[in-house]
Amino acid sequence: MVFNCGRVVFMRKVLIVDDALFIRLTLKKMLEKYNFQVVGEAGNGIEAIKLYKELKPDIVTMDVTMPEMDGLEAVQMIRNIDGQAKIVMVSAMGQRTMVVKAIESGASGFIVKPFNEAHVVETLNNL
Amino acid sequence: MSENDGRDPMLDLYILETYNLIEELEEIILESEKEKDYKNSIDTIFRIMHTIKGNSAMMFFDNISHLAHSIEDLFDYLRDNSELNVDYPAITDLILQSIDFIKNQLGKIGNNETSDGNPEELVSDIRKQLEIITVETPQESKESKNQADNEEHHYYVSSVKDCNEILEGELQNRLDIRYEVVIFFKEDCGMENIRAFTVIHRLKNLAYDIIYFPEDIVENNETEKVIRENGFRIIFSSKRDMKEIKKSFKGTAFLSKITINPVSEEESCTKIENIEEVKSSLEVVSYREPQIASKNYSSSSESQGKHNMLNVSVEKLDMLMDLMGELVISEVMVTNNPEIASLNLDSFKKSSTHLRKIIDNLQDVVMSIRMVPLAPTFKKMNRIVRDMSKKLGKEVEIVLLGEDTEVDKNIIEHIGDPLMHIIRNSLDHGIEAPEDRIAAGKNSIGKITLQAENSGGDVNIIIKDDGKGLNREKILMRAKEHGLIDKPEGELTDKEIYSFIFLPGFSTKEQVSEFSGRGVGMDVVLKGIEKVRGKVYVDSTLGKGTTITIKIPLTLAIIDGMTIRVGQSIYTIPIMSIKQSFKVNEKDVFKDIDGNEIIMVRGQCYNILRLHERYNIETEVRDIEKGILVMVENEGKSLCVFADELLGEQQVVVKPLPNYIKKVKGIGGCNLLGDGSISLILDIGGLIP
Repeated sequence: MVFNCGRVVFMRKVLIVDDALFIRLTLKKMLEKYNFQVVGEAGNGIEAIKLYKELKPDIVTMDVTMPEMDGLEAVQMIRNIDGQAKIVMVSAMGQRTMVVKAIESGASGFIVKPFNEAHVVETLNNL
Repeated sequence: MSENDGRDPMLDLYILETYNLIEELEEIILESEKEKDYKNSIDTIFRIMHTIKGNSAMMFFDNISHLAHSIEDLFDYLRDNSELNVDYPAITDLILQSIDFIKNQLGKIGNNETSDGNPEELVSDIRKQLEIITVETPQESKESKNQADNEEHHYYVSSVKDCNEILEGELQNRLDIRYEVVIFFKEDCGMENIRAFTVIHRLKNLAYDIIYFPEDIVENNETEKVIRENGFRIIFSSKRDMKEIKKSFKGTAFLSKITINPVSEEESCTKIENIEEVKSSLEVVSYREPQIASKNYSSSSESQGKHNMLNVSVEKLDMLMDLMGELVISEVMVTNNPEIASLNLDSFKKSSTHLRKIIDNLQDVVMSIRMVPLAPTFKKMNRIVRDMSKKLGKEVEIVLLGEDTEVDKNIIEHIGDPLMHIIRNSLDHGIEAPEDRIAAGKNSIGKITLQAENSGGDVNIIIKDDGKGLNREKILMRAKEHGLIDKPEGELTDKEIYSFIFLPGFSTKEQVSEFSGRGVGMDVVLKGIEKVRGKVYVDSTLGKGTTITIKIPLTLAIIDGMTIRVGQSIYTIPIMSIKQSFKVNEKDVFKDIDGNEIIMVRGQCYNILRLHERYNIETEVRDIEKGILVMVENEGKSLCVFADELLGEQQVVVKPLPNYIKKVKGIGGCNLLGDGSISLILDIGGLIP
């Protein structure tokens, strides 16, 4: 190779959890431009846990409010299954208390809607 | 003075050392000029000149030695008499001229030419300066040297907790280390208080007795602003050493600046020099610590003083790098081998996790060997700004940020010139003359900010000026004149319009100046950046300024790929892009009006792309029934690629195509297969029209 440089990294596998199809799609398109591979999507906490066990993703993006089981509970359950799980909370502006609770339950970080691409990538890259 | 064939090996060492000294000297003198304070550098300058004088005399370069000697004499005198009315600006100019002279001579020497420069004029000017000072010396000046040194005091003022409380808590921690950390988050990241909370939460894993300020980060959203302005301050105890602590903070998202200091009992309290000056509750007055900006074991900033260095050939490093990439993939092939995937192997899993960790660390170290800080490249810009702004009659200052950011050695060589050109453009076209600036309500001194930062797997270099910005209309007009517009005007975004400046020969200047206007600059910049696989973005506001961002990737991605064969050639399609693959019957294939082959799948039409036709490959498999179709998709559009056969799935490291190969549409890179052959990676976006 004439020009040779670069640290070799894996495309990190992401599981997107959000009850809104539009949000899942937007996030998926955003992530696929970078070194991320979206391996699955879930619409609520229960599906999230099921898919987590199946797909064993590197990263999970978790919406805070969802039907059936909300983000906070899902975070706790997933962290119980896998203590190393890396979960990023996805919240709307003003849901700070819930984000704080999620972090206390083991979430590693958070991103805010509407998505700022640079912020999203920065957050996921620093997990 | 070399004999017969070989160059005196001492010569290279002389050149290297003298060059380094000259660079150091240039930096110091520019800094002193900027700060308008020379006192601290006189001694260093004297020392440097003394060394150069001696070295040059040894190598019989008398002209250089002579020049160095005259400066040494001048500064020797200044060492004892710095309080005088000395014409520092004149001396600075003379020093810079001397630096240029010596650089020039070194260049000749390096090319095996004779060093024939004559420094006599410079020497006599320098001597004149010395005469002026010695004549003016009053006897009292000798006392000035004995004045108390003006140390720089660092004032920390905080209202964290009462001093005594901290002390008491500390007594129990005598054997552990107490740290003080101040974190600044990136501008505009928002919700700094919650981010701070995340940091604290993570910190609990390796620290205790944690105190932080502001304290009410969870309950009080006003703390967001406090953190933004004053930083987030944490004091904690830990048994970990500095290296581990640094590493653990590196992964903090949106980190802009961090300082970590171990503190002693007294220091962890406060250093309040003058209590009456305490105005607000938290003021950090001055910090001058090395910054943590990169993800690697820091090199230069930690080891000041004696370096234990080794010269290594770049080829060996390149080989090391290649092998590293192969190792990473091999490890995956072993640990994720389908033959053992279904087995429950606990001990194996433990060992393979350990193996993965070691390989990760190894990669870190290999990368750090090749990483070099941008500081020297950035510092060169100081001189350029100074000289050019003087020539143009403009007042400009340049601010350097994030110079400790490191990039691969290969990259450093290629970005110096583009950077220089961009900055010259800013100076020539961007920053206005002082009168115009004042008329526009701006500060008469123009400002250029040169900033480097790590961002995920990339490095961003941002050049920002507060000049007059790009003229959208002029650019649009010029682009129209050159017939470059293929979209209706209304659909072009601002950024697309500004990007026209990167086309060869593009310039909105009516007249060509010494520095720019010929229209050969920006496209060379673009090519230089593309050489390092980087991208350039331009943004501008008329009247306010222009910002140019260069984004350079530092990572190679591994992707899951499907290898296919066409004749003797092998291609890889990213699995992500594949929807399905299938064999077809001739009767399912139609031709459209233009003669292109189409196939119907579940009621939808898809174009067929015969790779052997597109890339002119010889293959026996031309019959559509003998090969295989792979349906691929990119951004909602699909296509069926026709190949001879599928070879199998494998993980590949995407390597960029070498420079000597022109860009081919549809090929996004290449990779080395296990047997040593090369496969080209298809860029689906480039294949779909």
